[in-house]
Amino acid sequence: MPSVLRRPIVTAGVIALTLGAAAACGSSSSGGTSPGGGSTVSPASSSAGTNAAAVSEVPADISSKGTLVVAADASYAPDEFLASDGTTVQGMDADLAQAIGKELGLTVKVENITFDSIIPGLVDGRYDLGMSSFTDNKTREEQVNFVDYFSAGTSFFEKSAGGPAVTDLNSLCGLKVSVESGTTEESDAKGQSKTCTTAGKSAVDVESFPTQSAANLALSSGRADVSMADSPVAAYQVKQSNGVFKLVGASYGTAPYGIAVPKTDGTLDLAIQDALTAVISNGTYAQILAKWGLTSGGITTPGINGAIS
Amino acid sequence: MTTEDDRTGAADIKAIPVRHPGRWVAAAVVAVLVAMLINSFVTNPQWDWSTIGHYLFAGLILHGARVTLELTAIAMLVGIVGGILLAVMRLSANPVLSAASSFYIWFFRGTPVLVQIVIWYNLAFLFPHISIGIPFGPEFVTFNTNSLISKFTAAVLGLGLNEAAYMAEIVRAGILSVDEGQSEAASALGMRRVLVLRRIVLPQAMRVIIPPTGNETISMLKTTSVVIYIALTDLFTAAQDVANVNFRPIPLFLVACIWYLAMTSVLTIGQGYLERHFGRGSSTRPPARGFERLWNAIRFGRPRLSGYEDALIGNAR
Repeated sequence: MPSVLRRPIVTAGVIALTLGAAAACGSSSSGGTSPGGGSTVSPASSSAGTNAAAVSEVPADISSKGTLVVAADASYAPDEFLASDGTTVQGMDADLAQAIGKELGLTVKVENITFDSIIPGLVDGRYDLGMSSFTDNKTREEQVNFVDYFSAGTSFFEKSAGGPAVTDLNSLCGLKVSVESGTTEESDAKGQSKTCTTAGKSAVDVESFPTQSAANLALSSGRADVSMADSPVAAYQVKQSNGVFKLVGASYGTAPYGIAVPKTDGTLDLAIQDALTAVISNGTYAQILAKWGLTSGGITTPGINGAIS
Repeated sequence: MTTEDDRTGAADIKAIPVRHPGRWVAAAVVAVLVAMLINSFVTNPQWDWSTIGHYLFAGLILHGARVTLELTAIAMLVGIVGGILLAVMRLSANPVLSAASSFYIWFFRGTPVLVQIVIWYNLAFLFPHISIGIPFGPEFVTFNTNSLISKFTAAVLGLGLNEAAYMAEIVRAGILSVDEGQSEAASALGMRRVLVLRRIVLPQAMRVIIPPTGNETISMLKTTSVVIYIALTDLFTAAQDVANVNFRPIPLFLVACIWYLAMTSVLTIGQGYLERHFGRGSSTRPPARGFERLWNAIRFGRPRLSGYEDALIGNAR
């Protein structure tokens, strides 16, 4: 990518940092901003206002337009799904996005789009952030930076009546599995398929759908034997299905969720990290997680690019 | 030629062709735009030609292209046969058949093909089993709907039955375009309705039916991409699958576009031959296409007019 072109914006960021620090006088320190993750800042926010340290790290082009455009695939309740008006994206990610936007003094606009289009849309510069239950993994880190904010595994679910016995990934050999296109579930199931054929068993028939809702429909009409989703989402959807679906087997692969930030956006990832730290320390984070029944996946310190695999 | 000149005295007239400066300006504008596009192909790294080249003949893409072709062929076959049947029913003297055909066209033309495919695919949600037996009576054989209707069958049903509704109207227009005197004369010779239709009316209707049918086939080739919604690996789904792994959707979609263009080009040429075949008895010849005229202009130095205009100014070759 044309790194030379980014130089003026980085300079502008430094100027904004100076101004931000000046504006924050009387408040506490502007905090450490070492890249590489895990850095903590002493919160500079009052309960209602913005976080000075975080604001200072917002790239000039974003602070001048005043809006953060966040991409989410609203077929993944309770993390992100459509409200009854059919257009507003609600859920944990949407609430966290608003809370982060408040710390940064930016208006947050959450847009609904298919999951597999989010990372390309970030790379193209169409969106500023991707908050859509992204598992932070090494492959995706080559495309975008992640500010880690939650922790989740992957669960299996199937029809309550007459489904196959599934305990873990190894029991998928020979089964039809419905997943959403572009998810870690899709790559896990496809990877398992190779493991199955190498071991001389029948392959996994992986059916990839544009949305998780379509994957669920295929499961309920018997097109697929089992479906996979992130643990909190699988649990919520099974609960919402009124007994049509049930969870099976054990969850696996607990990994961080990350807020996807374009690599070309300067220090935006640090700004998000600092804003999120403030959201965690002022208690808003815990409230949001409790609201959606997701407290068990909460974290205490947001890192950057903390992929496990 | 010389005798004609002598007779009219045309040799004495110094004819200067009418100048067309506007044409030259328009051609220059188009040429500059084309040059800019070609320049972008070469200089803009975002086109990512190496990725395009790498995946153009990749196994998954080729498999997808084959599925797309098969789907197009079978769905069009279902569409054409169904369309002829529906058109004949629609024009039938039997009011029940005519009404049934109208109802079919109303329903299948009135709902989106994407929704129809998703419903066919998930038909087991409504009918988990399909059986053969006496209506409202005993059942002899029972099938599991999902094993009876494979993913591919669901796609063919969705695309083909929808197409039949459109083809029915095209065929009906073709049949109505044949002069009534033709069937009257055939009936007077003692032919029955079915024979009149098969031997007299349909062959003449073909000349009107073929061009829109070619159009529908090309349209179908691209409409097959909606099967991504039922996870059937056609050309577009294959490109999407690869893009999900390497995060380069645009180069992959360009790969798909190159294949779609290649396939529609072949279909366009085929349509030209079919039109020529069924237009044998007619006096109007289809005019030369845009590319053909450009090639002629490059070869002969100035734009050729259509055969009709050529004949008017005595240029007929």
